[in-house]
Amino acid sequence: MNTKEIVRPAIVLLLIAGIAGGCLGAVSAITEAPIAAQEEKTLNESLQAVMPEATSFEELTDVEKTGTISGVYLADNGGYVITTEPGGFSGAVSTMVGIDTEGVITGLRVTSHSETPGLGAKATDPSFYEQFTGKSGSVAVTKDGGEIVSITSSTITSRAVCSGAQEALDWFAANGGAN
Amino acid sequence: MANPIKIIKNGIIDENPTFVQVIGMCPTLAVTSSAINGIGMGLSTMAVLVFANLFVSLLRKAIPDTVRIPCFIVVIASFTTIVEFLLKAYLPALNASLGLYIPLIVVNCILLARAESFASKNGPVASIFDGIGMGLGFTIALTVIGLIREFIGAGTLFDMTVLPEAFPRTLLFVMAPGAFFTLACLMALLNYFKNKKNA
Repeated sequence: MNTKEIVRPAIVLLLIAGIAGGCLGAVSAITEAPIAAQEEKTLNESLQAVMPEATSFEELTDVEKTGTISGVYLADNGGYVITTEPGGFSGAVSTMVGIDTEGVITGLRVTSHSETPGLGAKATDPSFYEQFTGKSGSVAVTKDGGEIVSITSSTITSRAVCSGAQEALDWFAANGGAN
Repeated sequence: MANPIKIIKNGIIDENPTFVQVIGMCPTLAVTSSAINGIGMGLSTMAVLVFANLFVSLLRKAIPDTVRIPCFIVVIASFTTIVEFLLKAYLPALNASLGLYIPLIVVNCILLARAESFASKNGPVASIFDGIGMGLGFTIALTVIGLIREFIGAGTLFDMTVLPEAFPRTLLFVMAPGAFFTLACLMALLNYFKNKKNA
């Protein structure tokens, strides 16, 4: 193999990788701001969904996050929105819980999960998550003596969402009055 | 150059990526728990495949044989990532439904297989049609598998309940083993008819 056979492919590969890298960098720079704006919009929409009465939210970064709590937002009406990541049947079940100043759940959504389609994935159905609205103190599935009716054949997922909601309620009980 | 209709038919029937070539099995088995997922994955793959084929075809004379595979991968991965950025930034609604599949496309071997066996040997126009044909073949296969799995496993078609509530669901079919069962039965059925036709 002579030098030409080694050098030419290397240069072509370098050029293609360089151009591809340049294109990626350029597209990334152009889309960075719109993507951030979209993500913020999506976040605000889900915050609004669990606490319909509030109009703006502020993320609290200097609070103590216990257990699987991943984020705490203070709403302009004094309520809190807390995101938790309890473990489900196959990975974390991201749960967002809105709690008003009285410690009552204003809404709950499962924002992302990797539960079994047709089974645990039904946690995103209104018939399941709307059961949490209006609850306070402690939440649990009926099997554990609570009031939440489990998703059929998906007790593990149902328990995960309950434990997420419970963590949020506990956090509120411990820190809710602090601000 | 072969005629476009022949190339498209080749992708859908004669060399169907799923049932005949049996490539791209990872997304096939993973996302077909419902028909909607199948269509989403199939169409996203088709879009990327058409452009990846076009780029590879345009670059085919410039790329030396010895480094063609890394070059194809760079082209495919960059293109997919650009699509992902653009979807996220400007089409959030589409991204919400298809965003899940885009990263899976990069690792889909259908793209590399078509780049290697078709686009690197044919002109840009034929390569575009090959992308459409293969993409459609993949989409149809995934949708059919998805339809069967969600019908037996969840009693729904395109997320609409069609079986009465009292009818028992075979939940296994929306889980991973159901994907293998469905794929195996469909392939056996297709081979049966093919053999019968050739006999």
